[in-house]
Amino acid sequence: MIRESPIAVNQTTAPDTPSLLLRARGGDASAFESLVRMHQSSVFSIGYRMLNRRDAAEDLAQDVFLQLYRRLDSIESLEHCGYWLRRVAANLAIDWLRHAAYTTTQPLEAGAEIPAQQADHDPLLNRELDRLLGELAPAARAVMVLRYQEDCDVAEIATALDMPVNTVKSHIKRSLTALRGKVIGARLITAEELS
Amino acid sequence: MSEVEDRLRRALRPIDPPPGFAERVMRALPDQRPTATVTPIDIVRTSPRASFWRRVSAPAALAASLVAAVLLGQHVAIQQEERAGLAARQELMQALRLTSQKLDDAYQAVQGTPAPVQENEENPS
Repeated sequence: MIRESPIAVNQTTAPDTPSLLLRARGGDASAFESLVRMHQSSVFSIGYRMLNRRDAAEDLAQDVFLQLYRRLDSIESLEHCGYWLRRVAANLAIDWLRHAAYTTTQPLEAGAEIPAQQADHDPLLNRELDRLLGELAPAARAVMVLRYQEDCDVAEIATALDMPVNTVKSHIKRSLTALRGKVIGARLITAEELS
Repeated sequence: MSEVEDRLRRALRPIDPPPGFAERVMRALPDQRPTATVTPIDIVRTSPRASFWRRVSAPAALAASLVAAVLLGQHVAIQQEERAGLAARQELMQALRLTSQKLDDAYQAVQGTPAPVQENEENPS
Protein backbone atom coordinates (compact mmCIF):
# COMPACT_ATOMS: atom_id res chain seq x y z
CA MET A 1 0.00 0.00 0.00
CA ILE A 2 1.47 3.31 -1.01
CA ARG A 3 0.93 6.14 1.34
CA GLU A 4 1.85 9.74 0.90
CA SER A 5 2.81 11.78 3.90
CA PRO A 6 0.44 14.66 4.73
CA ILE A 7 3.18 17.16 3.93
CA ALA A 8 3.73 15.69 0.52
CA VAL A 9 0.02 15.72 -0.18
CA ASN A 10 -0.26 19.36 0.81
CA GLN A 11 2.65 20.28 -1.40
CA THR A 12 1.29 18.53 -4.42
CA THR A 13 -2.17 20.02 -4.01
CA ALA A 14 -1.14 23.48 -2.91
CA PRO A 15 -1.58 25.25 -6.26
CA ASP A 16 -5.12 23.95 -6.61
CA THR A 17 -6.26 24.36 -3.05
CA PRO A 18 -8.39 27.51 -3.17
CA SER A 19 -10.40 26.36 -6.13
CA LEU A 20 -10.65 22.86 -4.68
CA LEU A 21 -12.55 24.07 -1.65
CA LEU A 22 -14.67 26.42 -3.72
CA ARG A 23 -15.50 23.68 -6.20
CA ALA A 24 -16.40 21.28 -3.39
CA ARG A 25 -18.68 23.92 -1.91
CA GLY A 26 -20.28 24.37 -5.28
CA GLY A 27 -21.21 20.69 -5.37
CA ASP A 28 -18.28 19.35 -7.41
CA ALA A 29 -18.08 15.72 -6.29
CA SER A 30 -14.59 15.18 -7.66
CA ALA A 31 -13.31 18.16 -5.66
CA PHE A 32 -14.84 16.79 -2.49
CA GLU A 33 -13.36 13.39 -3.25
CA SER A 34 -9.96 15.06 -3.52
CA LEU A 35 -10.51 16.57 -0.09
CA VAL A 36 -11.38 13.13 1.26
CA ARG A 37 -8.27 11.58 -0.28
CA MET A 38 -6.15 14.41 1.06
CA HIS A 39 -7.23 13.89 4.65
CA GLN A 40 -8.37 10.28 4.78
CA SER A 41 -5.17 8.90 6.33
CA SER A 42 -5.17 11.45 9.10
CA VAL A 43 -8.83 10.99 9.98
CA PHE A 44 -8.75 7.22 9.67
CA SER A 45 -5.61 6.99 11.81
CA ILE A 46 -7.13 9.09 14.56
CA GLY A 47 -10.11 6.74 14.61
CA TYR A 48 -7.91 3.67 14.49
CA ARG A 49 -5.64 4.79 17.32
CA MET A 50 -8.59 5.89 19.42
CA LEU A 51 -10.90 2.92 18.85
CA ASN A 52 -8.30 0.20 18.17
CA ARG A 53 -10.40 -1.31 15.42
CA ARG A 54 -10.14 -0.81 11.69
CA ASP A 55 -13.85 -1.30 11.02
CA ALA A 56 -14.78 1.19 13.71
CA ALA A 57 -12.14 3.59 12.47
CA GLU A 58 -13.60 3.40 8.97
CA ASP A 59 -17.11 4.04 10.30
CA LEU A 60 -15.85 7.00 12.25
CA ALA A 61 -13.89 8.43 9.34
CA GLN A 62 -16.90 8.08 7.06
CA ASP A 63 -19.08 9.83 9.62
CA VAL A 64 -16.54 12.65 9.93
CA PHE A 65 -16.40 13.18 6.17
CA LEU A 66 -20.18 13.20 5.95
CA GLN A 67 -20.22 15.90 8.60
CA LEU A 68 -17.62 17.81 6.61
CA TYR A 69 -19.83 17.56 3.53
CA ARG A 70 -22.70 19.13 5.43
CA ARG A 71 -20.49 21.87 6.91
CA LEU A 72 -18.42 22.78 3.87
CA ASP A 73 -19.78 26.30 3.93
CA SER A 74 -18.19 26.95 7.31
CA ILE A 75 -14.73 25.80 6.19
CA GLU A 76 -12.55 28.78 5.44
CA SER A 77 -9.40 27.17 4.03
CA LEU A 78 -7.72 23.84 3.52
CA GLU A 79 -5.74 24.38 6.69
CA HIS A 80 -8.96 25.02 8.54
CA CYS A 81 -10.38 21.90 6.91
CA GLY A 82 -7.55 19.77 8.31
CA TYR A 83 -7.93 21.29 11.74
CA TRP A 84 -11.69 20.83 11.62
CA LEU A 85 -11.39 17.18 10.61
CA ARG A 86 -8.89 16.39 13.37
CA ARG A 87 -11.06 18.12 15.92
CA VAL A 88 -14.26 16.37 14.90
CA ALA A 89 -12.57 12.97 14.56
CA ALA A 90 -10.96 13.15 18.00
CA ASN A 91 -14.09 14.37 19.73
CA LEU A 92 -16.32 11.88 17.95
CA ALA A 93 -13.98 9.06 18.95
CA ILE A 94 -14.03 10.19 22.58
CA ASP A 95 -17.81 10.31 22.39
CA TRP A 96 -18.03 6.80 20.96
CA LEU A 97 -15.68 5.47 23.62
CA ARG A 98 -17.65 7.13 26.40
CA HIS A 99 -20.87 5.67 25.12
CA ALA A 100 -19.22 2.24 25.07
CA ALA A 101 -20.01 1.70 21.43
CA TYR A 102 -16.48 0.46 21.01
CA THR A 103 -14.47 -1.02 23.83
CA THR A 104 -10.79 -0.48 24.23
CA THR A 105 -10.18 -3.99 25.44
CA GLN A 106 -10.37 -5.50 22.00
CA PRO A 107 -7.02 -6.49 20.61
CA LEU A 108 -5.68 -4.75 17.57
CA GLU A 109 -6.84 -7.15 14.96
CA ALA A 110 -5.05 -5.45 12.17
CA GLY A 111 -1.49 -5.45 13.29
CA ALA A 112 -0.52 -7.41 10.21
CA GLU A 113 -2.16 -4.81 8.01
CA ILE A 114 0.01 -1.97 9.22
CA PRO A 115 1.32 -0.47 6.03
CA ALA A 116 4.66 -1.29 4.62
CA GLN A 117 6.08 2.12 5.33
CA GLN A 118 6.37 1.13 8.95
CA ALA A 119 8.54 -1.85 8.16
CA ASP A 120 11.63 0.12 9.02
CA HIS A 121 10.47 0.18 12.65
CA ASP A 122 10.07 -2.48 15.23
CA PRO A 123 6.57 -3.80 14.47
CA LEU A 124 6.26 -5.45 17.87
CA LEU A 125 7.11 -2.24 19.61
CA ASN A 126 4.68 -0.33 17.45
CA ARG A 127 1.93 -2.78 18.23
CA GLU A 128 2.77 -2.62 21.89
CA LEU A 129 2.64 1.15 21.79
CA ASP A 130 -0.74 1.00 20.09
CA ARG A 131 -1.98 -1.41 22.74
CA LEU A 132 -0.71 0.75 25.57
CA LEU A 133 -2.19 3.82 24.01
CA GLY A 134 -5.51 1.99 24.07
CA GLU A 135 -5.20 1.60 27.82
CA LEU A 136 -5.19 5.36 28.37
CA ALA A 137 -8.40 7.19 29.17
CA PRO A 138 -10.17 8.49 26.04
CA ALA A 139 -9.24 12.14 26.58
CA ALA A 140 -5.61 11.34 27.32
CA ARG A 141 -5.49 9.05 24.30
CA ALA A 142 -6.86 11.78 22.07
CA VAL A 143 -4.25 14.18 23.39
CA MET A 144 -1.45 11.71 22.64
CA VAL A 145 -2.75 10.91 19.17
CA LEU A 146 -3.06 14.56 18.23
CA ARG A 147 0.36 15.32 19.70
CA TYR A 148 2.40 12.45 18.28
CA GLN A 149 0.45 11.35 15.23
CA GLU A 150 -0.82 14.69 13.98
CA ASP A 151 2.07 16.70 15.41
CA CYS A 152 -0.27 19.31 16.87
CA ASP A 153 1.09 21.70 19.45
CA VAL A 154 -0.36 21.98 22.92
CA ALA A 155 -2.46 25.04 22.15
CA GLU A 156 -3.99 23.40 19.08
CA ILE A 157 -4.85 20.29 21.08
CA ALA A 158 -6.38 22.38 23.84
CA THR A 159 -8.59 24.17 21.33
CA ALA A 160 -9.50 21.03 19.45
CA LEU A 161 -10.47 19.09 22.54
CA ASP A 162 -11.87 22.08 24.39
CA MET A 163 -9.69 21.64 27.43
CA PRO A 164 -7.26 23.94 29.27
CA VAL A 165 -3.66 24.03 28.07
CA ASN A 166 -2.42 22.88 31.45
CA THR A 167 -4.68 19.85 31.29
CA VAL A 168 -3.22 18.94 27.91
CA LYS A 169 0.30 19.28 29.28
CA SER A 170 -0.63 17.20 32.28
CA HIS A 171 -2.12 14.47 30.05
CA ILE A 172 1.03 14.36 27.94
CA LYS A 173 3.34 14.22 30.93
CA ARG A 174 1.39 11.54 32.75
CA SER A 175 0.86 9.45 29.64
CA LEU A 176 4.52 9.60 28.73
CA THR A 177 5.46 8.60 32.24
CA ALA A 178 3.03 5.71 32.16
CA LEU A 179 4.18 4.55 28.74
CA ARG A 180 7.81 4.88 29.67
CA GLY A 181 7.30 3.05 32.93
CA LYS A 182 5.12 0.27 31.62
CA VAL A 183 6.64 -0.77 28.43
CA ILE A 184 8.81 1.42 26.55
CA GLY A 185 11.77 1.25 28.84
CA ALA A 186 12.19 -2.47 28.62
CA ARG A 187 11.20 -2.57 24.96
CA LEU A 188 13.52 0.18 23.98
CA ILE A 189 16.43 -1.41 25.73
CA THR A 190 15.71 -4.68 23.99
CA ALA A 191 15.26 -3.00 20.64
CA GLU A 192 18.43 -1.05 21.00
CA GLU A 193 20.35 -4.11 22.02
CA LEU A 194 18.99 -6.09 19.08
CA SER A 195 19.88 -3.32 16.65
CA MET B 1 12.78 15.36 22.34
CA SER B 2 13.02 12.22 24.48
CA GLU B 3 13.50 8.84 22.91
CA VAL B 4 10.05 7.77 24.03
CA GLU B 5 8.51 10.68 22.19
CA ASP B 6 10.54 9.91 19.12
CA ARG B 7 9.42 6.28 19.23
CA LEU B 8 5.83 7.33 19.72
CA ARG B 9 5.99 9.70 16.79
CA ARG B 10 7.31 6.94 14.55
CA ALA B 11 4.88 4.35 15.86
CA LEU B 12 1.91 6.67 15.41
CA ARG B 13 2.49 7.60 11.81
CA PRO B 14 -0.74 7.98 9.86
CA ILE B 15 -1.96 4.82 8.20
CA ASP B 16 -4.11 4.43 5.14
CA PRO B 17 -7.75 3.41 5.34
CA PRO B 18 -8.79 0.23 3.54
CA PRO B 19 -8.82 0.43 -0.27
CA GLY B 20 -11.91 2.05 -1.73
CA PHE B 21 -12.58 4.15 1.34
CA ALA B 22 -12.96 7.42 -0.57
CA GLU B 23 -15.34 5.78 -3.04
CA ARG B 24 -17.45 4.45 -0.18
CA VAL B 25 -17.59 7.93 1.36
CA MET B 26 -18.67 9.39 -1.97
CA ARG B 27 -21.40 6.77 -2.33
CA ALA B 28 -22.66 7.55 1.17
CA LEU B 29 -23.04 11.26 0.47
CA PRO B 30 -26.58 12.57 0.24
CA ASP B 31 -27.76 13.48 -3.25
CA GLN B 32 -27.84 17.16 -2.54
CA ARG B 33 -25.73 19.08 -0.07
CA PRO B 34 -27.82 21.19 2.31
CA THR B 35 -26.31 24.54 1.59
CA ALA B 36 -27.54 28.08 1.27
CA THR B 37 -24.49 29.78 -0.14
CA VAL B 38 -24.29 27.68 -3.28
CA THR B 39 -27.43 29.37 -4.55
CA PRO B 40 -26.51 32.62 -6.29
CA ILE B 41 -27.75 35.73 -4.56
CA ASP B 42 -29.64 36.91 -7.68
CA ILE B 43 -31.76 33.79 -7.64
CA VAL B 44 -32.64 34.29 -4.02
CA ARG B 45 -33.62 37.87 -4.72
CA THR B 46 -35.77 36.95 -7.69
CA SER B 47 -37.72 34.37 -5.71
CA PRO B 48 -40.52 36.43 -4.09
CA ARG B 49 -41.96 33.47 -2.22
CA ALA B 50 -38.63 32.68 -0.54
CA SER B 51 -37.90 36.32 0.30
CA PHE B 52 -41.45 36.74 1.63
CA TRP B 53 -41.02 33.84 4.03
CA ARG B 54 -37.56 35.03 4.98
CA ARG B 55 -38.96 38.47 5.84
CA VAL B 56 -42.04 37.15 7.60
CA SER B 57 -40.54 34.25 9.55
CA ALA B 58 -38.78 36.27 12.26
CA PRO B 59 -41.71 38.59 13.10
CA ALA B 60 -44.09 35.64 12.94
CA ALA B 61 -41.95 33.69 15.38
CA LEU B 62 -41.80 36.72 17.67
CA ALA B 63 -45.57 37.21 17.50
CA ALA B 64 -46.18 33.53 18.19
CA SER B 65 -43.88 33.71 21.19
CA LEU B 66 -45.71 36.75 22.53
CA VAL B 67 -49.10 35.12 22.09
CA ALA B 68 -47.86 32.00 23.82
CA ALA B 69 -46.47 34.07 26.70
CA VAL B 70 -49.78 35.97 27.11
CA LEU B 71 -51.82 32.78 27.05
CA LEU B 72 -49.52 31.16 29.54
CA GLY B 73 -49.77 34.21 31.81
CA GLN B 74 -53.55 34.16 31.61
CA HIS B 75 -53.64 30.47 32.39
CA VAL B 76 -51.43 30.97 35.44
CA ALA B 77 -53.55 33.92 36.64
CA ILE B 78 -56.77 31.89 36.31
CA GLN B 79 -55.25 29.04 38.24
CA GLN B 80 -54.14 31.41 41.00
CA GLU B 81 -57.64 32.90 41.21
CA GLU B 82 -59.17 29.46 41.43
CA ARG B 83 -56.80 28.50 44.20
CA ALA B 84 -57.57 31.74 46.11
CA GLY B 85 -61.32 31.14 45.69
CA LEU B 86 -61.07 27.62 47.04
CA ALA B 87 -59.08 28.82 50.03
CA ALA B 88 -61.65 31.55 50.77
CA ARG B 89 -64.46 29.04 50.49
CA GLN B 90 -62.76 26.73 52.93
CA GLU B 91 -62.26 29.59 55.39
CA LEU B 92 -65.89 30.58 55.10
CA MET B 93 -67.03 27.01 55.70
CA GLN B 94 -64.80 26.79 58.73
CA ALA B 95 -66.20 30.07 60.09
CA LEU B 96 -69.78 28.87 59.55
CA ARG B 97 -68.99 25.63 61.33
CA LEU B 98 -67.56 27.51 64.30
CA THR B 99 -70.50 29.90 64.40
CA SER B 100 -72.95 27.04 64.27
CA GLN B 101 -71.14 25.31 67.10
CA LYS B 102 -71.20 28.46 69.22
CA LEU B 103 -74.91 28.91 68.57
CA ASP B 104 -75.55 25.32 69.58
CA ASP B 105 -73.61 25.87 72.78
CA ALA B 106 -75.55 29.03 73.50
CA TYR B 107 -78.84 27.28 72.78
CA GLN B 108 -77.93 24.45 75.12
CA ALA B 109 -76.99 26.91 77.80
CA VAL B 110 -80.24 28.76 77.38
CA GLN B 111 -82.31 25.57 77.50
CA GLY B 112 -80.58 24.36 80.70
CA THR B 113 -81.34 27.45 82.91
CA PRO B 114 -84.69 29.18 83.62
CA ALA B 115 -85.09 32.56 82.08
CA PRO B 116 -85.16 35.30 84.76
CA VAL B 117 -87.10 37.59 82.51
CA GLN B 118 -90.08 35.22 82.49
CA GLU B 119 -90.29 35.15 86.37
CA ASN B 120 -90.43 38.93 86.51
CA GLU B 121 -93.22 39.03 84.00
CA GLU B 122 -95.30 36.31 85.84
CA ASN B 123 -95.29 38.16 89.22
CA PRO B 124 -96.05 41.76 88.37
CA SER B 125 -98.54 42.31 91.16
